[in-house]
Amino acid sequence: MTIFLASVGFGLLTAAVLAIAAVGFTLQFAVTNVLNLAFAAIMTAGAFTAYGINQLGVSVWVGLPVAMVACAALSVALNLLVYAPFQRRGSAPITIVIVSLGMALIIEFGTQAVVGGISVSYKMSQGHTYKLGGLVLTTVQLAIIAISVVVMVAAYLTLRYTKLGKSMRATSANRQLARNCGIRTGRVITTTWALTGALGGLAGTVYAIDIGSFGPTSTDLFVVLILAAVFLGGPGHAYGAMLGALLIGVATEVSAAYIVPSYKYVIAFVVLLAMLAVRPTGLLGART
Amino acid sequence: MLAEGRAGNSVMTFRRSGRWLAAIGAVALAATLAACGSSSSSGGVPSGQSIVFADVAPFSGPDAALGPTYLVSCDGTTAAINKAGGVLGHKVSCTTADTRGDPADAIPAVGSLLARTHNLELVIGCTSDEAAAVAPVINSHKTVMFCMTGQSEFDHKHFDYFYRLVPPDLAESYAMTVIAQQLGYKKIALAFGNDIGSQTFVQPAESAIAKAGMTVVANETLDLNATTFRTEAEKIVQAHPDAIMTEALGSADATLFSEIKQLNGGQVIPIIGTSAAISPAFFTSAAAAVGASDFANNFHADNLVTATSGPAYQAFTQSLLAVKGKVSGAQTGDFSTYFTAPGAVHLYDGMNLAALSMIAAGSTDVAKWKPFLTSIGDGVPGAVTVNSFAQGVAELKAGKKIRYVGPGGPTSFDSFHDSPGIFQVDTYTAAGVVTVSGNISAAQLRAVSG
Repeated sequence: MTIFLASVGFGLLTAAVLAIAAVGFTLQFAVTNVLNLAFAAIMTAGAFTAYGINQLGVSVWVGLPVAMVACAALSVALNLLVYAPFQRRGSAPITIVIVSLGMALIIEFGTQAVVGGISVSYKMSQGHTYKLGGLVLTTVQLAIIAISVVVMVAAYLTLRYTKLGKSMRATSANRQLARNCGIRTGRVITTTWALTGALGGLAGTVYAIDIGSFGPTSTDLFVVLILAAVFLGGPGHAYGAMLGALLIGVATEVSAAYIVPSYKYVIAFVVLLAMLAVRPTGLLGART
Repeated sequence: MLAEGRAGNSVMTFRRSGRWLAAIGAVALAATLAACGSSSSSGGVPSGQSIVFADVAPFSGPDAALGPTYLVSCDGTTAAINKAGGVLGHKVSCTTADTRGDPADAIPAVGSLLARTHNLELVIGCTSDEAAAVAPVINSHKTVMFCMTGQSEFDHKHFDYFYRLVPPDLAESYAMTVIAQQLGYKKIALAFGNDIGSQTFVQPAESAIAKAGMTVVANETLDLNATTFRTEAEKIVQAHPDAIMTEALGSADATLFSEIKQLNGGQVIPIIGTSAAISPAFFTSAAAAVGASDFANNFHADNLVTATSGPAYQAFTQSLLAVKGKVSGAQTGDFSTYFTAPGAVHLYDGMNLAALSMIAAGSTDVAKWKPFLTSIGDGVPGAVTVNSFAQGVAELKAGKKIRYVGPGGPTSFDSFHDSPGIFQVDTYTAAGVVTVSGNISAAQLRAVSG
């Protein structure tokens, strides 16, 4: 029972980090129509940006917003210089996916060329450890969960009540119609790249804080988890991504407690496949 | 629409035929290039051209620290060889092939290496991650390889061109068990990566631990690409082990140590690592994750006995120091760690053996120089012991037979070209300097072997 509760707690923590990344990824996909597999590489770039700040003797919590800004800029640049030209030429979606895969490798290996093949850690304290039943979480881990909750609420409020959020939803639903209604879709798309890039930087930094030791290839598998969470929730659905992240996060950790741990992601994907067999469009996707 | 589609398809079919022809042409060209590349192994290196040693190892992926470690050795050794006049008038240079630590990536990487590299005389590296996949390919190319793999399949599978100066993994499992015995531990947790190279330790470790009268209280397989190991760490902490035996390279071990420390009330559980943990990258990662002092106070690893003084050690360290700060990917941590890193030491010896063999044979034709590897390594009656390439060249020029004894100690090749050494116990200081804290005798290893 203790290990079960512990694994549920760890699952919530994994879900918290995953949810930030998954919401960023799915919003990006929904509005820009780019399935950007380089998202996790941008997370890595964010984590190392914060690391660079941290190495100067500055708190990683100060490095975090810097990483968000850097990743927002990187994300916008990625669209302007790479994806948008391909889209203008009418490249098929699968072509863009392959291009994004290439960009992921370029960013990942570029980071590795700069920082080397070693793993690094932030200089920071994990704070006090809190134990409740089987749950074991540190102050920093609780802070990560809190950040994730704030991001989720902010995403909800933005999409629901702000002009930008409504424009994003309209652009996502029908870009041509949105443009005809006077929405400056180009600006919305650029803003979306910036916002989701910032979410990538945030996700990358809290991910690196969470795992304790990270390297240029640390997000290799994480992008698969992001995809799983997004498709479990229903691609393009921010709330679905949150729910998907929660299920994937808890499923991986609980399965690690009771089966061979190296199969924990296999179990998570069995859950995903079973869910998609019942609801092919995802948990919150439109019924077919 | 359908008719248009069909018409379009016919055009596409025609175009695709053209592409197929182009693709077939490209494959044929690649095969021709590969054949050209392979000619160097059998015919020797033309005068005026350089001899090439290739570092085939992971330069990216979880084991990305291994390739640069070997490259330090390659660049340092070849620089020393060139400084001593080269090999039969040829300069020696190093090239690399990134296997990413994955057989699927290693095969095309080695294929490309063999196709593009003229005058390839020696391959070094080939770790357990990829050795099983690439060794047959390199062997069929008739290129000598010194591999850093402990995989047991090479104990009984013969490849003419395969050599290794490291012990089988099961011997390392026994050595780790002896360390646990020496330190008085009774309850052991196993935490090994899910890669081929790490998993080969598990079964021998389990049997050795049982034979030594100790107990395995937890056995966690770590997915090297996983994001965290919190649940695995919690299971280990709840099992209350006296020590953890582990090999999970990349960021995995560092993450695991960090999470165990956090879940264990800030206390690091003693760690027993493999010789792969003796590297600047490993120390840097682990020390950053749990604190240098905590890590140094709780870490032991088995390692092959290597010289720490004497002429062989002096020549070796001078060679490596000549490339300090110049090797991409190897600019982190305490550089002196390379002086005891198994890859750096034993591959240095392998490269010197190969270079001296060519000079002894008076040829860069592999068929002629390969037999000298064992005679120069193991020695023949009347041979003069030499401790460096330069010394070996001088003695060969004087018409003497030589036995090369480098910093890795004397070799003793068996019929499978394996030359396993003897073990010592290594620790780190908080500054990352490797120190020898004990020895492991052959009798101690036999006592726990299955």
